[in-house]
Amino acid sequence: MKKVNDSKRTYMLITIPILALFVCFNTIPLIRGVIYSFTNFKGFGTYDFVGLRNYMDLFTDPRIGGSYLFTIKLAIVATIVTNVISLLLALGLNSRIKGKTFLRAAYFVPNVLGALVVGYIFQYFFTYILPGIGEALGIKALEGSMLSNSSTAWIAIVIVCAWQSIAMNTIIYISGLQTVPEDVYEAGDLDGATGWKKFRYLTFPLIIPFFTINMVLCVKNFLMVFDQIMAMTKGGPEQSTESISYLIYNNGLSGGSFGYQSANAVVFFIVIVAISVAQMSISSKKEEQL
Amino acid sequence: MKRKNAISAVLAVAMLAAAILLGCGSDENSGKTEIEILQYKPEAAAYFDQVEEEFNASHDDIHLTISSPNDASTIMRTRFVREDYPDIIGIGGDINYSYYVDADILADVSDYPGMADIKQSYVDILEALEITPKDGTYGVPYVANAAGILYNKDMFEEHGWEIPESWGELMDLCEEIKSEGILPFYFGFRDTWTCLAPWNSLAVDLAPADTCKQVNAGETTFTDEYRETAEKCLQLVSYGPEDPVAYGYNDACTAFARGESAMYPIGSYAVPQILQVNPEMNIDSFVTPGNDDASKNTLNSGVDLMFAVTAACENKEAAYEVLDFLLEDANLQAYIDDQNAVPCKEGDFELAPMLDGMKSYIESGNMTDYQDHYYPSEMAVDAQIQTLLINKDVDAFLAKFDKDWTRYNREIIRAVQEYNEENGTAE
Amino acid sequence: MYEKMKARVNWPITILLFIGLITVAFPLYMTIVIAFKQPTEMTNSISGILSLPAHWSLSNFAQAMELTDFWHSLGNSLLVTVTTVVLCILLHSLMGYAVGRNKAHSKFYNIVYLFIVSGMFVPFAILMMPLAKQTAEMHLDNWAGVILLYVVFYMPMNLLLYTGYLVNIPIALEEAARVDGASTWRTFWKIIFPIMKPMHATVAVITALAVWNDVMTPLIIMSGKGQNTLPLAQLTFQTQFGTNYNLAFASYLLALIPIIIFYVICQKQIINGVVNGAVK
Repeated sequence: MKKVNDSKRTYMLITIPILALFVCFNTIPLIRGVIYSFTNFKGFGTYDFVGLRNYMDLFTDPRIGGSYLFTIKLAIVATIVTNVISLLLALGLNSRIKGKTFLRAAYFVPNVLGALVVGYIFQYFFTYILPGIGEALGIKALEGSMLSNSSTAWIAIVIVCAWQSIAMNTIIYISGLQTVPEDVYEAGDLDGATGWKKFRYLTFPLIIPFFTINMVLCVKNFLMVFDQIMAMTKGGPEQSTESISYLIYNNGLSGGSFGYQSANAVVFFIVIVAISVAQMSISSKKEEQL
Repeated sequence: MKRKNAISAVLAVAMLAAAILLGCGSDENSGKTEIEILQYKPEAAAYFDQVEEEFNASHDDIHLTISSPNDASTIMRTRFVREDYPDIIGIGGDINYSYYVDADILADVSDYPGMADIKQSYVDILEALEITPKDGTYGVPYVANAAGILYNKDMFEEHGWEIPESWGELMDLCEEIKSEGILPFYFGFRDTWTCLAPWNSLAVDLAPADTCKQVNAGETTFTDEYRETAEKCLQLVSYGPEDPVAYGYNDACTAFARGESAMYPIGSYAVPQILQVNPEMNIDSFVTPGNDDASKNTLNSGVDLMFAVTAACENKEAAYEVLDFLLEDANLQAYIDDQNAVPCKEGDFELAPMLDGMKSYIESGNMTDYQDHYYPSEMAVDAQIQTLLINKDVDAFLAKFDKDWTRYNREIIRAVQEYNEENGTAE
Repeated sequence: MYEKMKARVNWPITILLFIGLITVAFPLYMTIVIAFKQPTEMTNSISGILSLPAHWSLSNFAQAMELTDFWHSLGNSLLVTVTTVVLCILLHSLMGYAVGRNKAHSKFYNIVYLFIVSGMFVPFAILMMPLAKQTAEMHLDNWAGVILLYVVFYMPMNLLLYTGYLVNIPIALEEAARVDGASTWRTFWKIIFPIMKPMHATVAVITALAVWNDVMTPLIIMSGKGQNTLPLAQLTFQTQFGTNYNLAFASYLLALIPIIIFYVICQKQIINGVVNGAVK
């Protein structure tokens, strides 16, 4: 009995200080930020409380609506693309291949290149190289720049986002694959399970926690997309690629509507938490089923 | 147990390292008055480092620190939030200045003796930027920039093209250039902010200088004032590359430097980027002729860098001494040479050659501030102009401009109208 | 044994992976070529940008190193990154253990878990101004503050990772240790912490990468006082109206090397520390 209490105390002694740290540097500033969302604070100087005005304005602002639609569309497509490719890549990099270390390092590179480099290279690619290929092959759809057309610019952003994030997701999947014991495969081999079946019934159930982690991280990262927008389109063309974070940063921090964009950030926070909780509870149900 | 020790050792080392890092970086200059300048142009950092060094070498009573950090605007904002104000800030004459004056962050410098040497037109520009008229002066204009149309001098000489002085002449010139198989203009509208360059230089010619203030006072609308600017902007863009939104600022600079177009409507600030690609290039510029009556045209010029003493500055006398030093002719000339800038001070300064075509306007003081200095950045007027240039719908653009303006300037409009009620609308 | 391994190399997958590498190799090729070129060699034509530089000279790299005060900035970046990673691994794995082992049966720990993980979704922009103020009030507007904030910022993600990993570690291991009379604290460091090695490596890579590239936190917390990290110093290449891509690319390539080396080392740990090996 003493043992159980002892262990309970240890868990508490670990949890409380770390939790306090978290509250101090995350929760308290968040609360201060929420307070700003009820003011007309510009980011400097004095301010007045304006009640719920900022929140009311949010719902009548077509730009905010547009940014939600764009961001959610981007997040869904980029999450799917990234997860499919990085799972395949992780399986590939985890199998018996030649040049494993080299390949793993090489596929990691996109994650490290700075936004300036990624922006320049992909802008070049979409402005000159892709239309060049389109012309050479006579594919009409590719002849114009994807970045100057408001119906295709978001696809270009998806490509860049996926290209950069695949590396991190792959690492997480690879570390997940390490928890799959060899004997599971050996058992599978005896049963004659191969390829897809082996993955579907043996590997995948064991890496579901990692699948959940990756889905949550992807959704989070893509919903908060900012760097890629700044590097590629600056919200254009025709304001079609203004993400939510883009508005929060540019209008709230560089511009003068800090209070208003704080309200936007609060609503956005609630939306992402809701999406992620839903996602995690769905995945955990799946985990139980399997 | 061993592992626990190892961990505490690592922690201790980490703490120690942090402590050492904290320790350095604090240098004391006891007894001297400390003056700190925070200025927003990192590209001029080398110049300001030199000024700092020379100032400190020649002054015993004041110690000057000039920081020219990257992303200074973010740094300024965070320091304002912390109420940790530098003594002097170096900023541009745009809407942020308006906000800072309105927020009482800046001190009145009308008692600064050096103010007498500053060109009145630039002092007026700052005055006009105040949201509601306020007694006093809140910034010392240092240098200005100018925007119009850059042109490839060698190409112009080779073909015998003349500098256009009216809108008709500009259109004729474009036709002529086009007929010789050369692209008249290059644009880089993928970087939305560049959409403002042709817009501003046309708007100063075609709309009243105080359009935004008039709208705030409820006296006119943008639909009435900006239609011609919007239409002429579209005409100008039709002489550019087929899909100008495909290219960025850097693409346009590179293309112009490589002789892919004869002209490039942008400010003088683009010259270093162009010369980087083609150091041999002969670039000159002319004022965008928006009107058919040449006498109505005006140079688009605004305060690029001013120094404003903050209200929190404890020793204004020392701050003024620093300003005196910065405004010494030799120092100002050094800045002009370094940054191709236009001085805001009266006197005989030598201008960069790429400003030759604008010289007469600069000397006669025929200039008007950028209209975008009144636009709140969150309204994203640049992106709205980009939209106009893509779908070419002038009516929709103007209607949205008026609608968005009232939305984003709600508080300013309220302040202006309250002020006018109290003080009477007469200016 | 050697023969057997060789026979089992999966060639189709190896070849596919090498083909896929083109998506990385092409941008990297462009980066390298641009880093060696002079600004006067920059063009808007495809053949122009893909061509090799006229002269292979390291002058861009030398100049970039000078402009960013490379060794100093690198030192600062390394120090911040290493300290953050060490603290994160120690504190977050502990937290992951305490929360992960209890959240299934304790409401309190479940709430703590959700509370911290949801912190991941707080847009940084809303925290920026309050944090700038708070850290100044607490005299943490320095490296210590930056590191502390990193430990807090990456806690949600790392907690998610550690608790996720813990699910696959059989509880029987700890129970066996407890029967032998070991305390919970001791059990963690003796048994769980070593088993989590692959996850430590993963956390190290992800955290290090985020810290290594981060500009915003040091920018707002130190507000231009104090010394630069590499990404802060690299802002020098971008001013409002001009960017020297050649120098910038050279500088980014230099900054790439340490993190790639770190990644390769960590990768080895991820593979070597296979759980089933530890179970045996």
